[in-house]
Amino acid sequence: MKNKNIIMICIFALFFSVLSVMCYFKADEEISDSERRVLAQKPELSAERVFSGEYAKEFEVYAADQFPMRDNFRTVKAVFSTKILNKADNNGIYMKEGHISKLEYPENKEMMEYGAKKFTSIYHKFIKNSDADVYLSIVPDKNYFLAEKYGYPSINYENFIDYFESEMNYAVYIDIAQLLEIDDYYRTDSHWKQEKITGIAKYMAEQMGADEIRLEYTVNKLDNPFLGVYAGQSALPCEADEIKYLTNDIIDNAVVTYYDTGMPKEGAMYDMEKAKGKDPYEMFLSGSTPLVTIENPAATTERELVIFRDSFGSSIAPLLSQRYKKTTVVDIRYVQSDYLGAFIKFNNQDVLFLYSTTMLNNSKILR
Amino acid sequence: MLFSSIPFLYYFLPVVLLLYFIAPKKIKNSVLLLSSLFFYGWGEPKYLSLMILTVAIGYVSGIFIEKYKGTGLSKAILLLAVVFDLGTLAYFKYADFFIENFNKITGLSASLLGIALPIGISFYTFQILSYKIDVYRGTVSAQKNFINLATYVALFPQLIAGPIVRYSDIEGQLTQRSHTVDKTAEGIRRFIIGLSKKIILANTLGELTESFMASGEKSVVFYWIFAISYMLQIYYDFSGYSDMAIGLGKILGFEFMENFNYPFISRSISEFWRRWHISLGSWFRDYVYIPMGGNRVKKLRFFINIFTVWFLTGFWHGAEWNFVIWGLYFGILLTIEKFFLTSFLKAHKSVDFVYTFFLIAVSFVIFSGNNLTESISYVGGLFGAGGIPLVSQGIGYAVKNYGFLILISALGATPLPKKTVTYLKNIGCGEKIIDILEIPVLIMLLIVVTAYLADGSFNPFLYFRF
Repeated sequence: MKNKNIIMICIFALFFSVLSVMCYFKADEEISDSERRVLAQKPELSAERVFSGEYAKEFEVYAADQFPMRDNFRTVKAVFSTKILNKADNNGIYMKEGHISKLEYPENKEMMEYGAKKFTSIYHKFIKNSDADVYLSIVPDKNYFLAEKYGYPSINYENFIDYFESEMNYAVYIDIAQLLEIDDYYRTDSHWKQEKITGIAKYMAEQMGADEIRLEYTVNKLDNPFLGVYAGQSALPCEADEIKYLTNDIIDNAVVTYYDTGMPKEGAMYDMEKAKGKDPYEMFLSGSTPLVTIENPAATTERELVIFRDSFGSSIAPLLSQRYKKTTVVDIRYVQSDYLGAFIKFNNQDVLFLYSTTMLNNSKILR
Repeated sequence: MLFSSIPFLYYFLPVVLLLYFIAPKKIKNSVLLLSSLFFYGWGEPKYLSLMILTVAIGYVSGIFIEKYKGTGLSKAILLLAVVFDLGTLAYFKYADFFIENFNKITGLSASLLGIALPIGISFYTFQILSYKIDVYRGTVSAQKNFINLATYVALFPQLIAGPIVRYSDIEGQLTQRSHTVDKTAEGIRRFIIGLSKKIILANTLGELTESFMASGEKSVVFYWIFAISYMLQIYYDFSGYSDMAIGLGKILGFEFMENFNYPFISRSISEFWRRWHISLGSWFRDYVYIPMGGNRVKKLRFFINIFTVWFLTGFWHGAEWNFVIWGLYFGILLTIEKFFLTSFLKAHKSVDFVYTFFLIAVSFVIFSGNNLTESISYVGGLFGAGGIPLVSQGIGYAVKNYGFLILISALGATPLPKKTVTYLKNIGCGEKIIDILEIPVLIMLLIVVTAYLADGSFNPFLYFRF
């Protein structure tokens, strides 16, 4: 017994000593790649901050954020929580059918109202008096396919879509939910796969009355594995996805212009630098960009399309743009909607509001 | 600083233990005192001076109470010192409560003071009070060494959430305590079990009770799930803290009293209070109830005694009427039990557990509210008041997500795990296997709690607010 107790004391002394030394001397990291967020840095030490208790509070966060081998520990927690405590989700994230999904529940009425009002104000300010045809399409999040089947709570999709349809009665609703299935989404990410939504793009274009053209694609694959946003957030062990992207002559020859800050900058439909970055999904239309125009020199039509979109729009816009002469892709998370008139002249375009349920249920970030 | 935090576990504790064990015996208390002051001042430096002043007054008054023992002066000094302690507690903890109620009664609008409650004030005030009273009673000698007395009050393992350690219990240990391999190993065991109870069980149960509070889909069944989860959460939170305090005490050579003894297996309310927060119950018994005459008095006096004690017990927990009602609720139940139910409960073994569990669950719901209105509404919810449905939509997921946790938490709150280990030790080579498994299991628990902390599961101890 005595020997066992000596061993126990030695083991725990070693355990605490090693981790303690690592805590004190490990170099701080700036960003968590897995969680895709900025990590807390050592708080500034001053008498005022110490006496107000602020220093202690910030140090708590810093110590947790910078803890050695934090990602491994997070995985231990996720596995213990779901496999041993049998919890159905870990920090609101769960895994079913090999897919990781984040609970989106309940409906946030305030956010829904905010989103609908924002779109309506854009409509009244810029679109109503033009000859534009307005469309709305909502991309369901992964819970649409998984939640009910596995007993997870989810928003009431029927009511959710009905709400936007009725609040945006100036827009024709294009129902794509029934055409999608869970495997059209990345397993480790919230987004859909471009190679799986060519049919959706075709259906949308048809609903908007665009010319029917036969399109063929070459499927390209990124070499690097893709661990999506949920992989890092869940910290659960999972198999990486692969990103495929579609090309053809029209896509290759399109003139893509990015209006970010400063002068407009010509670029490519697929940003191969970002494809090698921390979030390879950002390769589609260069990720978070406020305004992009795609001009199609091969177009046989004069029709133009304006897409108000979130990140789901990045991967479908290249497919839709082939049926239009010019496509303008706007992300009002990154540009003030009040100033849209300075960038886009609305006349007789097709205007599509394309948003995911996740975005609409958290729409306060629309500007 | 919180035990269940990375700064405590991996920045503070290893350094303190290293300094403590390399320090010569005569300065060990100084190391402990300085560490404890740093521990207390870490989150709330502004109240460090208040605690030092409380100790200083306790130190001086203790010496003079003893010096003038047997004279009126000794009693007068004790009274003054007690008035200082209770006055400080009243000012920092209850001032706004008194002002609010004064305003309600008089219709005036005196401004609130908005004073932040110094962490652990209820615990360390009771400790220093017991010291002074014991010196007056002559059961202990006045401590002549300021550092020793300050170490007793400020000792970081039990400073902010108990157990309420009596000076008489550790008087000798302040100068003479043993550090043995067995005691240190037992301390490590106890500390890790307490840490796991708090972080793995209490905090996860806390997620459920918080989601209940935030939920708009309340129902009778949901209220009962909340009641059970909340009572388990409080139990694991507080008993986990006590385990950690007792464990750290052992590592540092101290022996603190036990604070919990499977309270949820009680078969009467009086038994429950012999098993729950034992250090507080025995404090009120020895320093309030018995000096008032206890139960060896006439009926009317007995009622006054018991309701005074339970009023104070409730009020000690918080400056809100729901805590007062909570205390009086127990006063009423204990009175009914004493006069009418004791023999009935003894004769009806099948109902005593259900009776106790039901009343305890209701008591925790009263306790859970932020004010009396909220508590009444929650208790009403247990019985369907306000026309709430029997079941609501969110229940299925709450059970799916937390059902297993509630089950193991409930079983863990009984002697079953301990009995199982004892049983297994007695069969074949069970003892050897358990001996071999113990260290890996404890290491795994420590890794898991560290993982929870690194993942950001930050939760302050609930008993800090008392």
